[in-house]
Amino acid sequence: MSRIFIAALGFLMMAVAPVTLADETCMSPYMAKIVGQEDYVYIWTLGMEGVGDGEDKLVTVDVNPDSKTYGEVVHSLSVGGRNEAHHSGLTDDRRYLWASGLDTSKIFIFDIYTDPAQPRLHREIDDFVAKTGGIVGPHTNYALPGRMLITGLSNNRDHGGRTGMAEYTNDGDFITSVWMPTDDNLQGAVKSGNYADGYGYDARALPRRNVLVTSSFTGWNNYMMNLGKMMGDPEAMKRFGNTVVIWDLHARTPKKVLDVPGAPLELRCAWGSRSNYCFTTTALTSKIWLIYEDDAGEWQAKAVADIGDASKIPLPVDISISADDNHLWVNTWNDGLVRLFDISDPHAPEQVFEKRIGEQINMVSQSWDGERVYFTSSLLANWDKTESGGEDDVQYFKLYNWDGATLTPQFSLDFVEMGLGSPHQMRFGAHALYGKAPAKTGHDDMAAR
Amino acid sequence: MVLAPGYEDLQFEPPSAGSYQLPSMGEAADGLILNTLGNAGRLHDYLGDKATVLSFIFTTCNDVNGCPLATYVMSGVQKAVLKDPDLVDQVRIVSFSFDPEKDTPSVLGRYGDQFRAEGFDWEFLTTASEDALRPTLDAYDQWVIRDYDEEGNYLGTMSHILRVYLIDSDRRIRNIYSTSYLHADTVVNDLRTLLMQ
Repeated sequence: MSRIFIAALGFLMMAVAPVTLADETCMSPYMAKIVGQEDYVYIWTLGMEGVGDGEDKLVTVDVNPDSKTYGEVVHSLSVGGRNEAHHSGLTDDRRYLWASGLDTSKIFIFDIYTDPAQPRLHREIDDFVAKTGGIVGPHTNYALPGRMLITGLSNNRDHGGRTGMAEYTNDGDFITSVWMPTDDNLQGAVKSGNYADGYGYDARALPRRNVLVTSSFTGWNNYMMNLGKMMGDPEAMKRFGNTVVIWDLHARTPKKVLDVPGAPLELRCAWGSRSNYCFTTTALTSKIWLIYEDDAGEWQAKAVADIGDASKIPLPVDISISADDNHLWVNTWNDGLVRLFDISDPHAPEQVFEKRIGEQINMVSQSWDGERVYFTSSLLANWDKTESGGEDDVQYFKLYNWDGATLTPQFSLDFVEMGLGSPHQMRFGAHALYGKAPAKTGHDDMAAR
Repeated sequence: MVLAPGYEDLQFEPPSAGSYQLPSMGEAADGLILNTLGNAGRLHDYLGDKATVLSFIFTTCNDVNGCPLATYVMSGVQKAVLKDPDLVDQVRIVSFSFDPEKDTPSVLGRYGDQFRAEGFDWEFLTTASEDALRPTLDAYDQWVIRDYDEEGNYLGTMSHILRVYLIDSDRRIRNIYSTSYLHADTVVNDLRTLLMQ
């Protein structure tokens, strides 16, 4: 019996799994998805001075429990320098992994299909700023049909938070760019509250409603500044995003600017066919916000839950929605906790679980069935707890199993001890996506069919 | 099985034609073809004079959200274009097979006869061999996995990502549709937008 089940809308892996509009919970709905056991986690890792070669790298960890190298780093590919490695994303056919650097604005495109166990560098984009007309800090790499959408965090005029988005072909050729709406130029959007700051961060699509949602963080001047220095600078602390923008997905034109004060970061949209809403969390105010279409068809935003005690600055970072839209994992970087919220009533989330994972926890990724939950540490090179003398500046990749009540540790990798660096975004890989069985295990039943 | 959105009414009001841009995604590649009469030619013979919707299919495909969806949506496009005098002489549909072994010119011709309305410019193209087909599939990023049994025998089925291309009269790709995006109303809206620019 097949242990790997893969399906995607339009991806003709016959008789393996119900076709849904989803991916393993947090990625583009246009993408093939792994709904069974993933073989690899690809970790875009920030280089640390004095740790290994000090370079940013794509680290491949074998996570198939039936493999002889389960829980081991099986491949590491350095890219020749530090770029403030941060987020990554897969093309809609899952053949390429795009990984971007917030400092240098470089994008590295890795081929992960020729040999899923050993990604290779396919192409490097080093003219992102020039091609896009001044967008700096490529962040989210998000699959649209036959193309990639790249959100920016900053610009090359003042390195502040005003920014835009760019589109590239899957091959890495520039198509077009668009700037976020501002008070100066709303581009036809309706400003529904006090802000139209033009900041950017994440993006998610709800194709059935022709909606693209974007969030807002801060510019290069802040995200490359020492965290303590920035928090002591009142002017710098004013320069955070306070908006979520609703776009016409097809036309790529902004329709409505919503007030979501306090730096709304990750966006996760519900999968249900009638669930016209997304969640985000605000880094500075520690709240869960619901971005939703009301009964009149208008898109709205409202704070629906607190995450810990905001006065203690828990600093919510990554979130992960379950495939059934009932639960949301929320990591808080400052206290090292993961919290689970019941979001079955999206207007009234309730915290139902919490566990300390480790210092400076950041990213969380769960398998489609929700049974495996992966965590990494590290926020940004200049924000991590480097001044603790190493005690709190821990860098790890951890796997837990989730049974609905308890997170049980499976393995943990120390990325400093292993000479790798600071692990950030995780993406899953599987041989069965490409009709291949892994050579090293030779399992005939690994294929999707 | 969840049917793709292309089988249902569009669940939103699309942006009005001409109100948005369809920036070029690059040149549409050429390649060797056979038409349904068995005549050899090039794909570019069917691109360049009209706005063209190009889909890749194979006639034995039985995944309802794959090639049948593409052909269903193309039928819807045909129906809408036939009703629009501004479009009817400006649009061509091309259905390109990626199974030269089974989709011979005559097989593809009979398949096309089931869908093509009289007088409408809907071309069905195949190739003489896998070798002739491969460069075109690569150029259009049309990744296909053939299905084999444990003895290595071809099962006659294939796995692929559905891709449909909108190509302008200068042979530039202006949009790419996949299963959860492909809808006749969207394609026709884009065709109108192309012809207004």
